[in-house]
Amino acid sequence: MNYQLTNFTFLARTAPYGTNRCNLLMDIALASSVFEQKSNYVFMDDAIYQLLRNQNADHIQTKTFGKAIEALKLYGINNIYVLEKSLTERSVSLDELVLNPEIINQQQLQELVRNSQNVISL
Amino acid sequence: MKTLHTISKTPTSNLLTSCLEAIAEDDGVLFLEDGVYYIWKDIKDLIYTEQYECYALKEDLLARGIEITSRKGVNLVDYPAFVDLCEKYEKIINWF
Repeated sequence: MNYQLTNFTFLARTAPYGTNRCNLLMDIALASSVFEQKSNYVFMDDAIYQLLRNQNADHIQTKTFGKAIEALKLYGINNIYVLEKSLTERSVSLDELVLNPEIINQQQLQELVRNSQNVISL
Repeated sequence: MKTLHTISKTPTSNLLTSCLEAIAEDDGVLFLEDGVYYIWKDIKDLIYTEQYECYALKEDLLARGIEITSRKGVNLVDYPAFVDLCEKYEKIINWF
């Protein structure tokens, strides 16, 4: 696979709710898209959990991240990936996730990162 | 002293491993906040649930979209039951 040169690659690595890192990263991504930057958004490690269906954060009096994250597509960020290893480590399958991300392996991730002018990891 | 151990980070943290080093026979383990990902499916062998009383906070499971049916050996608790647990055990150790 040959990836085009992009301005930003966002690497989401943490679970939602425990910290606000996932919200921060999404905010940066949405802001970058307003300035018509071309971006990739990669979910790896515990960030896989950000994409689980059936989240309902009303139970802990906060906003449901699984819904908020769908704004990425509305803002034109369509290159959304999940790291295969992170999925298998957590016994999560693609049909349990929102956003319909594309599965990539380690080599493809390296390529995305190499071809990106800026990489932000949170 | 009968102790309740609380675990509040994802399995990536390896907190349970540390906890199991220090736990005593009649202690309990409560998974809450990001700790509830420990019982996402049967991601790890849940052998410790046979040895120790295990609990998970229902609200945190629901918030994160984790299915809460048929979780072998893990008792689901809500906030009032969490308070009861704090009374039942003589002390609490927070692993975070």
